[in-house]
Amino acid sequence: MSIAELESREIQLEQPQGLWSDAWYRLRRNRGALIGFGLVSTFVLVALFAPLIAPYGPREQNLSLVADGCCPGPSAEHLFGVDQLGRDEFSRVVYGARYSLLIGVVSVAVGLSFGLVLGAIAGFFGGITDSVIMRLMDIMLAIPGLLLAIGIVAMLGPGIWQIMIAVGVVNIPIFARLLRGAVLGQRENDFVLAARAIGVPKRTILGSHILPNAVSPVIVAGTLALATAIIDVAGLGFLGLGPQDPATPEWGTMLTGTIRYLQTAPHLAIIPGIAIVISVLGFNLIGDGLREALDPKLRGRA
Amino acid sequence: MSAARTPLLSVDDLHVRFGTSRGLVYAVNGISFDIAPGETLGIVGESGCGKSVTSLALLGILARNGRVTAGSAMFGGRDLLKLKDDELRSIRGREIAMIFQDPMTSLNPVLTIGKQLREPLEAHFGMDKGQANRRALELLEQVGIPSAKQRLRDYPHQFSGGMRQRVMIAIALACEPKLLIADEPTTALDVTIQAQILELLRTLVSERDTALMLITHDLGVVAGMCERVNVMYAGMFMETATATALFAQPRHPYTLGLLQSVPRLDSGRRQKLMPIPGSPRNMLSPPSECPFAPRCRYEVEQSRQQVPPLEEIEPGRLVRCFNPVPADEWQRQRVGGAA
Repeated sequence: MSIAELESREIQLEQPQGLWSDAWYRLRRNRGALIGFGLVSTFVLVALFAPLIAPYGPREQNLSLVADGCCPGPSAEHLFGVDQLGRDEFSRVVYGARYSLLIGVVSVAVGLSFGLVLGAIAGFFGGITDSVIMRLMDIMLAIPGLLLAIGIVAMLGPGIWQIMIAVGVVNIPIFARLLRGAVLGQRENDFVLAARAIGVPKRTILGSHILPNAVSPVIVAGTLALATAIIDVAGLGFLGLGPQDPATPEWGTMLTGTIRYLQTAPHLAIIPGIAIVISVLGFNLIGDGLREALDPKLRGRA
Repeated sequence: MSAARTPLLSVDDLHVRFGTSRGLVYAVNGISFDIAPGETLGIVGESGCGKSVTSLALLGILARNGRVTAGSAMFGGRDLLKLKDDELRSIRGREIAMIFQDPMTSLNPVLTIGKQLREPLEAHFGMDKGQANRRALELLEQVGIPSAKQRLRDYPHQFSGGMRQRVMIAIALACEPKLLIADEPTTALDVTIQAQILELLRTLVSERDTALMLITHDLGVVAGMCERVNVMYAGMFMETATATALFAQPRHPYTLGLLQSVPRLDSGRRQKLMPIPGSPRNMLSPPSECPFAPRCRYEVEQSRQQVPPLEEIEPGRLVRCFNPVPADEWQRQRVGGAA
């Protein structure tokens, strides 16, 4: 085989195409990220197929089960036991995955969409626009996240959509800041100047030159924010600011109802707690894996 | 002679300043030049003398803190320096295009070469993707990239430096501009590739009768490519002449200094290189004396009192100096071998 042939083979081996496929390649070789994917996909599947998995309805009460006091522990009929109203804990946790997933995704989507737009505008246009937007974000960041969320729920009234919005709004400044920084860094790049020099319109420069290079930290932060959002929502639910129907199988709300039974039936608090931990852990592992995969400093290393 | 042709671009008394935390930087202090269609004009100078700033100012893509404070740049009956950003945008890439120094960073790493080649075509001609792709393929073939069709789908990191600069040239020439500004097009490349890229530029430019403004610090590049050369220092032209005249008989002390500091194959073995002493002028104040005076061996009293005017001391040659170098000085030094 000639040297040229060897070289061309080597080049093919070294370079698994573009930026994203490169990142994907490295992500697949990261054990933590794979475990994260496993946990999250289980979580998503459980949420999607809840009616098939759960043996009982989430609101189905059977008070005769708690006639002898609260609350019977795990048994063959009730895998995780029953709660104070005789509802099957396993079914409730399974249905709860739906709420947590929905809440996490919607609130991050709210934060991400507003945060991205604001951050991109601030970073790209700079000047007064930038100052006004970023000072506003600073004000929001000055208030502790959960407190701000509670304030917003207090304003909108409790409820599941309200807490999604509240948690989303809390996320806006985080994403805006992150993207602004990344856009500022990319804006000074030679290829941006080169694109301007050939007359590419501003909007295209922002959309197809700056943003694709600036989003990777935001993707990582978004994944990690999903985890935080689930915790925040559970926290708000626990404080009684979540769904007003106490029968809703939302994990945080479930915890609230069980405080009184902590000594006699600790599994009622532990099981939704574990569900929260597992889903949060899954998103965190994926987020960390993504961070490593997308880090330009690590690019090229396997 | 280029003077007979009507100029394509006529720059007059261009001034550019930058506002920085240390004060105003006087980057370009009144430069004037003409380029005729098909002409190749050289601008030579060391780093920081305002070469690149001049070209960025013409295209209206100076950094945010940069301002054109005086001057005009007539191009096709319009003053580039007075156009609105939208109007300028329709000129950039369409009528005046630019190639940058570092092909490693001037291409966007996340977009395919094909996409980046299509961009000017879509922006200026409103071509759809199919048309633009066909044209992009043609362009890649013209700049000598093998198996162009497959390479359209490749990303910049899959190209070598020389190949990337070829792609940059293809992008710049996509809309057949009338003027091409090449800002140190070969500085980041190794010497063998430099020659190829210059050859390619020369061919493409002469085929299309495109005017080329070549900005470089490399005297060798200028000697091989340009008809007229402007030597720039501290934001001013110090000497303007035809390339042949400039290299045979430098008349400005700075030009002489530049030539003396470059090794030559035909010089005597004992000939020493003579660096220019001192460092470039601090640009934080407007020039009030000859900017080169502190480093100059030919300095006269007057040089410290006022900025010398750019004067025509022989036909076709302008020199900004009160005490120009004797016409035969350079020749004498080279033959004598003594410095």
